[in-house]
Amino acid sequence: MTARPAHRLATAGVFGGAVLLLALLALPVGALIIRGGADGIRQLGADRELQRALSLTALAATSATLLTIVLGTPLAYLLARDRLPAGSLIGALVELPLLIPHPVAGIALLLAFGRASPAGAALARAGLAIVGSPLGIGLAMLFVAAPLYVSAARESIARVDRRYEDVARTLGDSPWRAVRRVTLPLAGRGLFAAAVVMWARAVSEFGAIVILTYNPKVASVLSYDRFTAFGLDAALPVAAVLVLLALVPLLVLRSLRAGSGPLEHSP
Amino acid sequence: MIALERLSARAGSFELREVSVTVPAGSWGIVLGPAGSGKTTLLEAIAGVRGTMGGRVILRGEDATSLPPETRRVGIVYQHAFLFPHLSVEENIGYGTRDIEAAREISARLGCGGFAGRSVESLSGGERQIVALARALAPNPDILLLDEPFAALDPRRRARVRAELRRVQRERGTTVLHVTHDFVEAGTLGDLAMVLQHGTLAQVGTPDTLFRRPASGAVADFLGAENVYTGTVTRAGSRAADVIATLSFSGDGLELTGIGDHPGGVGHAVIRGEDVVLSRQPARPSSARNVLEGTILEVAPDGVLARVTLSTGGTTLVAIITQVSAHELGLAAGDAVVASVKATAVHLC
Repeated sequence: MTARPAHRLATAGVFGGAVLLLALLALPVGALIIRGGADGIRQLGADRELQRALSLTALAATSATLLTIVLGTPLAYLLARDRLPAGSLIGALVELPLLIPHPVAGIALLLAFGRASPAGAALARAGLAIVGSPLGIGLAMLFVAAPLYVSAARESIARVDRRYEDVARTLGDSPWRAVRRVTLPLAGRGLFAAAVVMWARAVSEFGAIVILTYNPKVASVLSYDRFTAFGLDAALPVAAVLVLLALVPLLVLRSLRAGSGPLEHSP
Repeated sequence: MIALERLSARAGSFELREVSVTVPAGSWGIVLGPAGSGKTTLLEAIAGVRGTMGGRVILRGEDATSLPPETRRVGIVYQHAFLFPHLSVEENIGYGTRDIEAAREISARLGCGGFAGRSVESLSGGERQIVALARALAPNPDILLLDEPFAALDPRRRARVRAELRRVQRERGTTVLHVTHDFVEAGTLGDLAMVLQHGTLAQVGTPDTLFRRPASGAVADFLGAENVYTGTVTRAGSRAADVIATLSFSGDGLELTGIGDHPGGVGHAVIRGEDVVLSRQPARPSSARNVLEGTILEVAPDGVLARVTLSTGGTTLVAIITQVSAHELGLAAGDAVVASVKATAVHLC
């Protein structure tokens, strides 16, 4: 008889905790959209600086993501199939940027690719300045977001049983052809989801970009700039637009998960 | 032809050690062994999808140890089929060949022509296995590796597909190495059979030799011999070792006369249940016949057969007789019976 009130209390605790957390997550976002959403959408049509910042953000994030797909998918494959010596160490190194505070990532990039560095100097001589250029934005986005792509891509490749490739090899495929005809199509949805996650992370980056390239401004830097220069009311519409735009990758990911068939491929 | 010379391979923490065996061209080899004995690793090493740690894989008389799988012309069928789920059944079957007609012909022969247009997801486990067989056979490999390819088929379909595959194999002269847990399958299909235990080859021979003359107590036990006893073997007379001879066995409370090539010393006596003859009348012992008196502990029906367990001098002896015989003898638990076993049916190893 004593179990019933205790059970009710536990249930209330579980639901209460969930509601509290949801409120903590939803309240700031809701407030931002309610206060700035309508203005933001209106400004989207008229504010040239905002339009430029958004295009630059999208362009830099897309370029960083595409480059990571090209360079990161082979790495993810090698990690997933344990084909690298010291694979677990390399895997940990790849994930390290996720754990570094973002301004620290910016400082590290500045050290490695700033004009004072050998690499930065060489790039500058070739006309490819990193600091204060769109290239720096793309590089900062790649540094902080590529680990997300490589980790997720590695997992989705690892879920495709190696024996699918083995069977393809016995049917005459070269290693590369087996990966192209079998593994990549089977991991395809997972790879696309990984790219979307990376793109969304790149779009939302601020800390590393602001150190490497304040101008030209990406959208996150623009919202910060307006807040510090003109106050909360001026920053609200830009901030609200960024929140609304974040819903796009979120919806893409949701629809991918709801899509037909399992993400995992077992025999 | 498949020849393995001291082949060693590793799969995780498991090791296949120094396996040497030859499957002649055009013959059907059977691989038996408990789960985890290295059967799949052996097939994968031959197909080239699993690296070797030592030894050689010789295919068609040529060293293929360092050849990549795509140049070995070896087909493999896994128990779990591994059909490509993003392709249709037809695309799966045609994956390894440009000859669409050949793919269609083998599909029709194995009985999967009817579901060519279906998706892989819609197939049952048995249908998947048939499609996987057709996919492996479509490029016409002259070496085929089968890892329990009939396990998911219902008995009727299994018999049909097995018979058709045997016909295809004979027509094409394909060399087959086939992992199975089914002893009946091993006996009906195999020209040659081998037992793997703990990653090493325990015995190779014709299926009949394996079942009649297992090389060790462990092999006999694995192959389902009902009666395996441990004791001492004595070689009588001056016959040279390594020649099949009449020997005496003493152990587990039994004194038996049997045959084998045992050098003497610690050994096993193996008696298959179907070689034990039961009667109500006492029989006269002779050097050619062991006679054991006992009491029935249990009569358990097993299809058309009956499994009769007796206690003879405190030791258990199992006889497999027909239900009809059990009924005619009126056997029941507690009855006294006489069991006789020919000396030639007591295998000493």
